[in-house]
Amino acid sequence: MTATDPVAPADPAAGPAGAAAPAGRRRAGRRPPAALLVPAGLAALFALLPLGYLAVRSLERGPSFAWQVVADGRTVELLGRSVGLAATVVAASLVLGVSLAWLTVRSRLPGARVWSVLMTLPLAVPSYVAAFTWLSAFPALAGFAGAAVALTLVSFPYVYLPVTAALRGADPAQEEVSRSLGHGPLRTFLAVTLPQVRPAAAGGAVLVALYVFSDFGAVSLMRYDTFTRGIYTSYRASFDRTPAAALSVVLVAVTVLLVAAEARTRGRAGHARTGTGTARPAVPAPLGRWRLPALTWCTLVAAAAVVMPLATLGYWLAVGNSATWDPATLADTAGTTLGAAAAGAALTTLLALPVGVIAARHRGRTAHLLEQSAYAGHALPGITVALSLVFFAVRYAEPVYQELPLLICAYAVLFLPVAVAATRAAVLQSPPVLEDVARSLGRSPLGVLREVTLPLAAPGVAAGAALTFVLCMKELPATLLLRPTGMDTLASRLWTETGTGSFAAAAPYAAALILLAAIPSYLLGRHRT
Amino acid sequence: MRRPLVRRLTALLAAALLLPAVAGCGVDEDDAGLVIYSGRNEKLVDPLLDELEKAVGTTIAVRYGESAELAAQIQEEGDRTKAGLFFSQDAGALGALSTRGLLQKLPQTSLDKVDPAFRGSAGDWVGTSGRVRVLAYDPGQVTRVPDSVHDLVKPEWKGRIGYAPTNASFQAFVTGLRVMEGDDAARAWLKGIKANEPKAYDNNLKAMDGVDKGEVSIALVNHYYWYERVAEKGEDEVASRIHFLPGGDPGALVNVAGVGTLKGSDQLPVARKAVDFLLSEKAQKYFAEETKEYPLAAGVTSTVEGLPPLASLDSPEIDLGELESLQETLKMLQEAGMV
Amino acid sequence: MTDVQIAGVSKSYGPDAPVLRGLDLSVPAGTLAALLGPSGCGKTTLLRIVAGFLHADAGTVTVGGRTLCGPGVHVPPEARRIGIVPQEGALFPHLSVARNVAFGLSGRDRAARRARTEEMLELVGLGGYGDRMPHELSGGQQQRIALARALAPQPELVLLDEPFNALDSGLRTGVRSDVRAALRATGATALLVTHDQQEALSTADLVAVVRDGRVAQCGTPQEVYGRPVDPWTARFVGDAVLVPGTADGGTATTPLGRLPLAAAPAGRTEGAVLLRPEQLRLADTAAGPQGTVTDVAFYGHDAMVTVTVDGLEEPVGIRVAGPVSVRPGQRTGILVEGEATLHP
Repeated sequence: MTATDPVAPADPAAGPAGAAAPAGRRRAGRRPPAALLVPAGLAALFALLPLGYLAVRSLERGPSFAWQVVADGRTVELLGRSVGLAATVVAASLVLGVSLAWLTVRSRLPGARVWSVLMTLPLAVPSYVAAFTWLSAFPALAGFAGAAVALTLVSFPYVYLPVTAALRGADPAQEEVSRSLGHGPLRTFLAVTLPQVRPAAAGGAVLVALYVFSDFGAVSLMRYDTFTRGIYTSYRASFDRTPAAALSVVLVAVTVLLVAAEARTRGRAGHARTGTGTARPAVPAPLGRWRLPALTWCTLVAAAAVVMPLATLGYWLAVGNSATWDPATLADTAGTTLGAAAAGAALTTLLALPVGVIAARHRGRTAHLLEQSAYAGHALPGITVALSLVFFAVRYAEPVYQELPLLICAYAVLFLPVAVAATRAAVLQSPPVLEDVARSLGRSPLGVLREVTLPLAAPGVAAGAALTFVLCMKELPATLLLRPTGMDTLASRLWTETGTGSFAAAAPYAAALILLAAIPSYLLGRHRT
Repeated sequence: MRRPLVRRLTALLAAALLLPAVAGCGVDEDDAGLVIYSGRNEKLVDPLLDELEKAVGTTIAVRYGESAELAAQIQEEGDRTKAGLFFSQDAGALGALSTRGLLQKLPQTSLDKVDPAFRGSAGDWVGTSGRVRVLAYDPGQVTRVPDSVHDLVKPEWKGRIGYAPTNASFQAFVTGLRVMEGDDAARAWLKGIKANEPKAYDNNLKAMDGVDKGEVSIALVNHYYWYERVAEKGEDEVASRIHFLPGGDPGALVNVAGVGTLKGSDQLPVARKAVDFLLSEKAQKYFAEETKEYPLAAGVTSTVEGLPPLASLDSPEIDLGELESLQETLKMLQEAGMV
Repeated sequence: MTDVQIAGVSKSYGPDAPVLRGLDLSVPAGTLAALLGPSGCGKTTLLRIVAGFLHADAGTVTVGGRTLCGPGVHVPPEARRIGIVPQEGALFPHLSVARNVAFGLSGRDRAARRARTEEMLELVGLGGYGDRMPHELSGGQQQRIALARALAPQPELVLLDEPFNALDSGLRTGVRSDVRAALRATGATALLVTHDQQEALSTADLVAVVRDGRVAQCGTPQEVYGRPVDPWTARFVGDAVLVPGTADGGTATTPLGRLPLAAAPAGRTEGAVLLRPEQLRLADTAAGPQGTVTDVAFYGHDAMVTVTVDGLEEPVGIRVAGPVSVRPGQRTGILVEGEATLHP
């Protein structure tokens, strides 16, 4: 960053001119260029495919039938349970994510680097594996508690990662001012630090909430009935797609509300993180007598989220008969998984780029709508997204049906918001004035994107791609329906093996899945350190 | 300075997108003479399907999934389905496809190989193997095994019952109970069982473990779990015993895995050959010996030691196609607080 | 050589937030013009409209005879050939200094690009810095590179958006004169946005004072300072002494005596009579206006003496060069030199 003077105004728009010009004047009124708008629109349309399908299916038997399904007392109850679970997991993830982020970034925690890598590894653990390991160790956890524990332990990195980045980017001068005004460390943390990381935490919280809404694996193992489980039950018990579709529409509505709520928190705190970067890193806080409790806290989380699933898998591997699995098949499956996940991450990232850039650089209805669209399908269970792609592919894209490209498209629909959020955050890191300068020097909007915006955002975009990659690797329901016939991923193999109760045979696949997904997770943890 | 990073990133993205194109994974179903959607687990049926491939004389491609989800997929595909044959874990999914007119009627010669009780009333699907609901019990704790599931609501069984409420077979049994005795009776039974504080297990295997370890005295399971365990460890090493309920008790429901051919498919001739293979002596013996299920085709009997012949069982008479109506069952289970 | 004509430019952010209200401005070719105004007056908005980053609601912008924006016309920024130097320079952090400067030179061959880059670096006095990365430069160096980058493609017009704001005051003067020299050397027309009247007066050939979305006054620094159009402008461009007075012909009668006026109003007019503090002198005489010294502020090169004049409510400021001998509480006479302006 070019700023060498720490007191320089972080954003020209937030400067003293704010009184007469509304905040964000730099971008207000400027429409995104067609070169961005068209691909972003395509990406949004793509993400909206499941909605089109849901509209067709849920209204198949008339709106009154759909309404009957939605207005059913059981539906409302399930929704309440899902909301309750999501709220609990989000709250727990915020506590874990923010506290660990602060400890690893801003305190003199011994081994902070190691901890920061460890705290991203849970991303590699599929929710169903986490649920299974906890259930086999503590059967009494079955139900709400178990579901909340398993989901929190796999999803808190969604909060941890962005908050870590925000803490690194936040201006420590503000905290120093607070301390100088007589506020203690705790009050300073609550009044100054927390608001600084709030947009980042809110963005992560939305992803966690949507993850919880869409999760089926953990809640079904924990036997806790949620909305998504209700949707699966609808498919499994009545073989009827109409009620399932009507229920899915409710999930979409919840998603829209959540994303809108997040956008509001962002709107109010919009400029807090569009700075030109800090000139000087914060001085890590000494922990003093809190050193031991802090270390214990980190150890506990790492043990629960990382060691626990790995140890369980290790136990299965040890007790299982090694002859029941074949290293060649494992390697083959791993290769296929990596290929599909890499392609999925690549497509998702490409689609997310224009949407993320517009979301970061433009305001107004179009930009807002585009970003919202990307999120539309994210809370939907994998099966619904998969069926919607079946619906469209057999009608309009028959040649790719049950071919790898369609599966990759499903990954993109499912995980687009993750990549969009990463791109948006990455683009926000660099001041928009750089793009103005590039335009004045003769670059077209596309040229600016290629030569200035993207090179600067590349590390953040790559981080988003790594996260998407991990998610693609773990995906199961859409993979089962859309994979080329006969193709196996580690996740589908895991499903096959556990289907006959052979956990020993499943363990190598689960272990391979976690270890391979741990590589990008590890890179995510090292990102920017 | 950082430009190479971007170039590398772009190259990586491009390579990742191209990767699947060069890495041919999976069997190309366009080359396959028959595509099977199998709701039965690969581990159970893969060797048999290898035999099937030889028998029908053309390459086959198999897509494994959950029966219900594959049924939903077939419904979405409609007459453009890729599948020639649907191999379902239970009758319900086949009944659903039959109701929606997606299954092609099977030749009478194929149907005739199986007892009418174990095939679709419209003649468009046929059972390939059967499983019976039984009571597994710990002889150390149970001296007189009840002859009806209705006995289990008695107070003497309080805290002693194990079951797997989320398991499809258990739910099929409750559906059978509803079909036979009405919703009120089913509701009353569930309430009675719940009052006895049963121990819920993840699946039948775990429920069997529960009996073997003495955690519970008695459990509602499928017969083959016990026979598989005995085949693996020997009868002396297995603590539990099983009891076949007599007198047409709903607790002795026979459910089947079965197959149907898809109307929209252009693979019907091969699919029919496949159906006939699955009803052949070779395939039926496979079910009997490998999965310890009941063979359903006439003339084949199980050779599993100690397994009473299917014909000797006094199982309830019920149209298996009706097991499709699981929705109501689930609602009941939810109301009872079991799932 | 390019002149800039801005006519009737309006812009509002929403119905109740007009920022520019029909602003007119004419800048002759080769001129360095300063847009001087307080925060929020609309000067940055005008700059962004000229650059093409914002669409005006109404009005036209013509540079060198080419209409860049007007009814039905909006030339995109990249086609305007207008260079910009933003606050803090805004160098591309991922590109070396040389690549920053060469950024706008696409379309030329490599050798020409390199030659032009070197030339520009020399021009801003940073020859040999091409291989550095922006973060290795000081703030002033970054600012000069930003100017070199803007000038490299030989733009028709250069826009400078408060470019010296982020610099230390010591550094500011040096960078300012370097920038001025570089602009002169290339003969480019330039618009400098600033809220610092000293910067505007000392750097620019032409000063346009912007108030509430319009140009309140446009002229040479001397004109704007010496003959402000109204008391507000007078106060904004410098320290002002304002006393009530009555004009009759070429003179005005005020508590400071009868003062000659720069321009004679028609008939008898009452109004505020404006003088600059350096027009007033402390005098050891009992004739003429008398007052009491209330404060002395010493600035090194000069001092500001505040005097409460008999018969005036508001005290007046008197700029005194060299050593100051008066002290607060002391009585003093006052002499006035030069012409005053009258603002009815």
